[in-house]
Amino acid sequence: MQNLLEKAFVEPFQRLAEQLAAVVPALVSLVVILLVGGALAYATRRLVQRLLQMVRFDQFVAESGLAGAIERARLFRSPSDFGARLAQGVVWVFVILFALMAMPSEMTQSLVVRFVNYIPDLLAAALVLLLGTIISKFLARSTLLAAVNAQWPAARLIAGTVRVLVLLLAVVMALEQLRIGQSALLLTFAILFGGIVLAAAIAFGYGARDLARDWLQAKLRSRERETEETFHHL
Amino acid sequence: MENFLPSQLIERLAQIGEADIVVGIPSYNNARTIGHVVRACSAGLAKYFPHRRSVLINSDGGSKDGTPEVVLQTELETESLLLVAPQRLHPIQRISTAYHGVPGKGSAFRTIFAVARQLNAKACIVVDADLRSIAPHWMDLLASPILEREFDFIAPYYLRHKYDGTITNGIIYPMTRALFGKRVRQPIGGDFGFSGRLAARYLEKNVWETDVARFGIDIWMTLTAMAEGFRIGQSYLGAKLHDAKDPGADLTSMFRQVVGSMFGLLETYEEVWKNVRNSEPVPMFGLPFDVGVEPIHVNVERMIKAYCQGVRDLQEIYAQVLEQETRDGLVVCSRQSPTEFRMPDELWVHVIYEFASAYHRRKLDRQHLMESLVPLYLGRTASFVLEMQEADAARVEERIEQLCAVFEAEKFYLMKHWGAEARKESSHAKPA
Repeated sequence: MQNLLEKAFVEPFQRLAEQLAAVVPALVSLVVILLVGGALAYATRRLVQRLLQMVRFDQFVAESGLAGAIERARLFRSPSDFGARLAQGVVWVFVILFALMAMPSEMTQSLVVRFVNYIPDLLAAALVLLLGTIISKFLARSTLLAAVNAQWPAARLIAGTVRVLVLLLAVVMALEQLRIGQSALLLTFAILFGGIVLAAAIAFGYGARDLARDWLQAKLRSRERETEETFHHL
Repeated sequence: MENFLPSQLIERLAQIGEADIVVGIPSYNNARTIGHVVRACSAGLAKYFPHRRSVLINSDGGSKDGTPEVVLQTELETESLLLVAPQRLHPIQRISTAYHGVPGKGSAFRTIFAVARQLNAKACIVVDADLRSIAPHWMDLLASPILEREFDFIAPYYLRHKYDGTITNGIIYPMTRALFGKRVRQPIGGDFGFSGRLAARYLEKNVWETDVARFGIDIWMTLTAMAEGFRIGQSYLGAKLHDAKDPGADLTSMFRQVVGSMFGLLETYEEVWKNVRNSEPVPMFGLPFDVGVEPIHVNVERMIKAYCQGVRDLQEIYAQVLEQETRDGLVVCSRQSPTEFRMPDELWVHVIYEFASAYHRRKLDRQHLMESLVPLYLGRTASFVLEMQEADAARVEERIEQLCAVFEAEKFYLMKHWGAEARKESSHAKPA
């Protein structure tokens, strides 16, 4: 009877206690890591924000034209706030990875290793996307101003096309970096880009030849009128 | 000695030793007109400064049409020009040299400043190479106030067609006057006289990789002299007639260089202009006389079209730079009929002051910022031309005076925007 009681009640509790004894330290470590990591992430955010303000990051981003997009997104107060929260997020990712490493499970550890190996690619892709966004906005604005000052009627359309194409290129490059559908994406982009150019050429040459002729004539007339002007601006 | 001067030029300057007057002519492919300029300068030096040691230097940007050869080979014909035999103690030395650095008028001037300093010149004159109206007495009017009256900077005062010099009349003159308190009518005239010590001061500045090395040089010279307390005057030179060489070409870059340089100087001399309250006339030399000016053609319709397209297509950029009220005013203007198109003075002044503040606060890439101001400038020019269609020269001057008064009265508006907090930038960041 005593043997039965031991088998029915004591042994399971002993096994539970043994398992808890193995897991509890890991759980305590997890909680401690998350708490310390949270504090570290918060401190990083404050530090990065202060550093970015010191190097006038907001002004730099404002000049690049990206500030408008950040403000319109209404998620962040300013570009430096965005940068600081990004840094905080990165610290959080590392804290979570570190916490998972503290767990005694083989599965979590292999997951962490795979993720860590993937981090350089993720960072490179993020950088490509960020640069692509900045460059596309800058080039689109340069194109818009040049087209408006040359009095081209479709200035905004031209600027928008430039922006989309540069962004598209950045997205394809980022996805290639992440090894997602490499050849298919590249092929799609090439077909799409080639298609746009071909369509534009055909449209301009055949479909819109009257428009092309009128536009060229108008441009030549406007050039003639410009040279007719004989006053000096300075 | 500045090391940017070519060694051949350094040797030549060493042979000359010293000079009282240096006349500089910047050039690039001006073979057709520079001969007349050289003759007028030489005749002026022979007539008005026969006992002074003079050097005429052509600072050339690599002309392909033989400009340097024309400078060196032009016959002076002094006797027929002056009707008297020249009684010079010192012959006028003539030099033509290629300048180094960023291609542009400012780099050419830098070489002239360095030559003036090397020769220990008392006075220096610079004149454009494409002038058709330059006469020998310009030398007297530009150099004598410096040599005889201890002035440091003499700006030109011309009679021009009522539609000519629209950047000067609409932006540079009123703003210079309102901010720095000196009524110099042609701050970017291009033909100046200045003292040797001012030339040396110009050389001390590190601006030769900026737009000052290009068309920004004229406003930079004038504002530097004003802001640093040099003694300033202006001389009446009569009419200013240029060689007609595609004046409509590349307005955008010229505008960016001139107006951008001025906005940049507001930062450099912030402490000066913030303490200036009113404006005062500067001493004028020479006898004002009436001259006929050549008729000119202005395409108002094209300007209004450019303005309307700018207001429509550049909304997003203007939203980052201009106040809502200013943008509303611009939209109202764009809805007017072409014959009744007018841009009120106050609106124009607010546009300029808000752009100057945006330039200072780097709200946008500075090149983009200046380029986005061009359509608005064309609108203001069209408004001025339409308004002054029937006006005579005196009425046009009165009208420019009115605009200057608004620039002066609204100076507080610039000061308010100049120091505004960064948080305000985001409050009007959304397009209308």
